[in-house]
This record gives sequence, structure tokens and C-alpha cells, in this order.
Amino acid sequence: MLWATRRGCHVDRTACVWLIRRFIDDEATFSYFEDPAEAPDGVELFDVAGARLSHRGDDCSFETFLKEYSLEDPVLVEISEIVHDADLMDDKYGRPESDGLDAIIRGMQLVLPDDPTLTRHTDAIFDGLYAYLSREVL
Amino acid sequence: MDVAAVGKTEKARWLILIYNLPREPSRHRVAVWRKLKSLGAIYLQDGAAALPEDAVTREQLEWLQLRVREAGGRATLWEALPNTVAENRELVEAFRAAREEGYGEVIERAERIRRKAALGADRASLLEEIAKLEREFRAERRRDYFRSPLRIEAAQALRAARRMLVGGGTSADSRAAEGG
Repeated sequence: MLWATRRGCHVDRTACVWLIRRFIDDEATFSYFEDPAEAPDGVELFDVAGARLSHRGDDCSFETFLKEYSLEDPVLVEISEIVHDADLMDDKYGRPESDGLDAIIRGMQLVLPDDPTLTRHTDAIFDGLYAYLSREVL
Repeated sequence: MDVAAVGKTEKARWLILIYNLPREPSRHRVAVWRKLKSLGAIYLQDGAAALPEDAVTREQLEWLQLRVREAGGRATLWEALPNTVAENRELVEAFRAAREEGYGEVIERAERIRRKAALGADRASLLEEIAKLEREFRAERRRDYFRSPLRIEAAQALRAARRMLVGGGTSADSRAAEGG
């Protein structure tokens, strides 16, 4: 399936890309656009105002994904708390990992050329986070 | 916008969220106000909040705009440049001043923790206190778009307090104790 979101991905969108690849669609391809009006027809939009898979109430897009796809893996729930705090900066869950994740991905945005490259790197970060939390949580 | 431009005062571009929300239920108004406050926005007047433009503030304000609309209100987001250099400087100074209060409090509380640590007060509870204060400092720093002068002083006060707590006052020990 073709998925599309806005360019300049930060924590929430990079986490969603990882989630889609690992847990939702193993044949996923991604397109990053400047303006929602440029998005091709028939793609699944995410983290875009008004889309099904986006911010909803207090939730960031990653949290909406977990709900929409009924993903109840407790490790993913932990990651969603970290992503939420980094994305919305409201300290809702008080996750200490958020500050570090925010700093690392913000820095990667500066040195990596585009979103496909960025998300290849962030995939490894979220894989690591998942492995680490699995050991702690399960 | 490139990061190097953030914090420069002369050519700062601003984002202005203009919104209004129904009076009731009041929780939406409170939530939006609280979010703007946590972002460090300054109200130019009722329902018109300004932030310096960067990728983060833009994204946060776009979501807030959506939230206002979902709550039955109206919101438009504008890019703006003050008409004169003087007006721009005034706005920058207002942002700096808004952070001074928070930093001042961090400095005061960090000093208090350092003194208590020097007197040998319960270490565990002081460590908790300082961790909380460090979080507050990071939140303050995140919305300190123009580097208020007290920022460095606040960071130093926190370091001094932590050093006293973790290393008994010597910096080499404190580094080793934090695990390198």
C-alpha cells in the first residue's frame, strides 16, 4: 500500500513509518509531500490534519494508529507514551526517554538529506527502543 | 527555516494564531491557553498569540489550530513581520522577559537544594527534587527562543546543586558517579 505524509518528519511521523513497516504493512511504500493538496489519489494519509490516522483529541498520530489497528502490544503502548511526550511536549506520561529521542531525531533532520534516509535511520532507533523495552516490560 | 536563524532577533519571522472559541464549555479555552503558555507564546491581545517561526512552533500551532476548529471555534494561522525594527525588538524583549521569571525560580530553588545538600539533608528526596527542577529547566529552555540572559546562570545553579548532591561538591567525582 502507498502511504503519504508531510515532509520534514520528526518523532511522531518517523515512529508511524516504523510502526507501519513493522506491524501493519510489510509491503509499505511512502511518499512525502510539501502540501496535502499534492498527495496522489488513493493513498493512505497519516499525521495530516483531518486524516483518519492523525492527531485525535489529546492523542498524537502514533497513538491513533494503535487504536485504529487495535495494536495492544504493551511494548508499543510504552513507545506511544514516549512518542506522545516528545511530540506534544506536555509531559503527559513523564517519560524520560522523550527528551533524548527528540534531541536525536531533531539532529538527524539536520544532517540527513531527506525523509526516506531519515526514516531508514530512525527505524533502527525504534527497533532498539522496542528491543530494550521488551526486555523490561515483558 | 534553518536552525541557525532561530534566536536571531533582527529578521525573526513570527507566527500568529488568531482564534476564538465558544465560551462554554470552558475546558477548550483552558486547554488551548495552557498549550500556548507551555509553548511560551505571548498574547498580543485576546485571541491572538505570537511565537517566533520555526519547524517546531509551526507544527505545534497547526495542531492547535485544528484543535480549536474541532472544538467548534475558528482559527487562522499567519506568518508575520512586525512593521518596524523597534516593534520587533519589543516583541523579542517581551519573550526574553517572560523566561526570566522561570529561570529566576530555578536558580533560587537550585540554591536551596545545594544548601540543604551541604547540610547533609536526606539525599534521596533531594535527588528527586533536583530531577524535577531539571525537567522544569528543560521545559523553560525549550520555549526560550531568544536565549534569555539568565539561562546560563540557571544551568550553572543546577549543576552546582547536583554536584553537591552526587559528588559531595567535587566535579570529577560527580562525573564518575553519573557513570561517565
